[in-house]
Amino acid sequence: MDDWVMEQGTVGEALARQGVSRRSLLKYGSYLATLMALPPTAGRAIAQSLAGAKRQSVIWLSFQECTGCIESLTRSFSPSVEEMIFNLISLDYQETLQAAAGEAAEKARLDAMAANKGKYVVVVDGSVSTRDGGIYSCAAGKTNLEVLKETAKDALAILSVGTCSSFGGIPHAHPNPTGAVPVSDIVTDKPVINVSGCPPVPEVIAGTVAYLVTFGKLPPLDRLGRPKPFFGDSIHDRCYRRPFYDKGLFAKSFDDEGARNGWCLYECGCKGPVTYNACATTKWNGGTSFPIQSGHGCLGCSEPNFWDMGGFYKTLPQPTHHHGRDIGAAAAVGAIAGAGTAVLARQRRQKAIEEEGKTK
Amino acid sequence: MTLLDFARGPAIEVAMVVFVFGVIWRLAWLLFLPHAQDRSKAKITGGALLSGTVGSFVRHMWPAKEYAARTLVHTVASYTFHIGLAVIVFGFGQHIQFIRSITGLHWGGLPTAVISAVSVITLAALLFMLLRRLTNPVLKVISTFTDYWSWFVTTLPVVTGLAAVSHLWIRYEDLLGIHILSVCLFLVSFPFGKLMHAFLVFVTRTQTGMFYSRRGAHV
Amino acid sequence: MHDAGPFENVRTGLARAVEQEILQHLEALARDGSEAAIDLRGLPMSEADREELDGALGRGEVRATLSAMGESEVWETRFNGVWWVRHKGTDGQVIAEQVEITLLPEILKTDPADARAAAVRMREHIALRDPDRD
Repeated sequence: MDDWVMEQGTVGEALARQGVSRRSLLKYGSYLATLMALPPTAGRAIAQSLAGAKRQSVIWLSFQECTGCIESLTRSFSPSVEEMIFNLISLDYQETLQAAAGEAAEKARLDAMAANKGKYVVVVDGSVSTRDGGIYSCAAGKTNLEVLKETAKDALAILSVGTCSSFGGIPHAHPNPTGAVPVSDIVTDKPVINVSGCPPVPEVIAGTVAYLVTFGKLPPLDRLGRPKPFFGDSIHDRCYRRPFYDKGLFAKSFDDEGARNGWCLYECGCKGPVTYNACATTKWNGGTSFPIQSGHGCLGCSEPNFWDMGGFYKTLPQPTHHHGRDIGAAAAVGAIAGAGTAVLARQRRQKAIEEEGKTK
Repeated sequence: MTLLDFARGPAIEVAMVVFVFGVIWRLAWLLFLPHAQDRSKAKITGGALLSGTVGSFVRHMWPAKEYAARTLVHTVASYTFHIGLAVIVFGFGQHIQFIRSITGLHWGGLPTAVISAVSVITLAALLFMLLRRLTNPVLKVISTFTDYWSWFVTTLPVVTGLAAVSHLWIRYEDLLGIHILSVCLFLVSFPFGKLMHAFLVFVTRTQTGMFYSRRGAHV
Repeated sequence: MHDAGPFENVRTGLARAVEQEILQHLEALARDGSEAAIDLRGLPMSEADREELDGALGRGEVRATLSAMGESEVWETRFNGVWWVRHKGTDGQVIAEQVEITLLPEILKTDPADARAAAVRMREHIALRDPDRD
């Protein structure tokens, strides 16, 4: 292909090589605009920007994780659409997907780091073990902790994909035997974007990467470091069952009349009101459904400590630490203290009477 | 630990422990205090004394004729916020959830819109009570810090609860956390000040009713 | 398609609101040529709402089907200048859907970069077919 046709190394060039037309890119732009709740006319600007953008070098590190996050991304429902993400990036290291193994694989990571120094993005799924020097999770003879520090040093930004790398996730759950921490606890001198979820919505992973490539900057982030275009609203605010909440119509159990009528699952322990994610709008499996639509409350999987929030079926107003024993003990101690106080008062009275008797 | 985690976890647990301890402590104390023997000759006993006592209690739930007109607005406002608070606390589904997790008891709730309307009316009545306290010359003089504190810790949960249900101003998890913490403040304050009247009213009014009924006085 | 949930059968009244918005944009297009678009998937519209809007706008003179990364359907409604654009993935799922108020939707135009690439391709094609022609 002639040089005047397209700049080398750009997304547009990569697509043209595969015979993908600009119409596809425009279509993808419209899709991303919808996904990010941008004005629909932004689709054209996104497509133009993407065509001229350099493919982003990405190094993907997998730590204490279950591979669910990469499964979420690669098994998404509309393959043609989601595959576009792999045209936007140059995935230079990913243990599950790469062909290279052993030392060649590690060399690929070091080569990519050297070639794109200061410009590559590190994607991390999984939490980082820190106890005993991080020895509980190692690959290629190095702890995750070492590899993260080494790779993040010259990175442009870090993308924590999944709740484990964003907030510690399940490895971090009580009693946290490996001393698991989120990436943001280790990498403090680079921008860290948290794309949480267990797993994250594939469109949200792809959309965040697309945002980075399209706009060449970080998306606006919420207070937990999550991209606002996807984590701006709570599940509850976007839930199609919300009108039932407002009317006070609740399912009390999973097999009652309310559940059959599709009423609000708040009283079945739904964590939708305190969970921020795109599930209620983007949904899963190509827009088929999401947990609440299939009749189960939200677990709050994109929030910190979701595993330790007192139980999936405990409703939000219910105390998480309630022990009847403490209350019983308080009552018993109160009764004893009350009786004691009264006895003291009796003694004082008796003494006063006696003293009065003496003076007479 | 987020604000909500703290509120739902250690904060509410400690508040309930303090509340139960304080209430039982004060009631037990009162119960075991030495009582002066009533040396008057009982005019009535048994069933008559009981009905006299109950009658007195019931009659004192509304001001006497002589004062009724003068205190009408105050009486209505007091009733409004007391009944309002009871409806909110025991009629709102999420509160029933809370009570259920502590006691195992539960019942059907009222629609959220009804609770919201009752909350607004309750809040208006509470504001009226405060304004009256601040403007009435006599009330102003006899009011102490504990009166204002009792008003504050009672009103705060109503305001924060309304905000939480309506998703006002800030994120829901923070609103709910603040609301639960405001309830903690109420629970912790309850046994050690004038809020304790919720229990003591039964003790004092019954005692007074019995005292006079025994002497054959119709009060 | 999956079973439409209870929500998908409910008319929320949004179709009427969107219709009003389209009218304002169409008047602007007629006045000074300014273009606009409304994202039908970003709004909390149900299937019933979209059907209601489709019925209200109707079908006009132009209808096009694109094959680019899955199918896309584009049609002009019976109100000229109001276009309905529905993008599907290769699995047939709708991935984006919008009403464009424009003289011609962008996706129907050939992109200059594609034209340049096509020129190269066509020259190669002719050169391969008629090697002696130059």
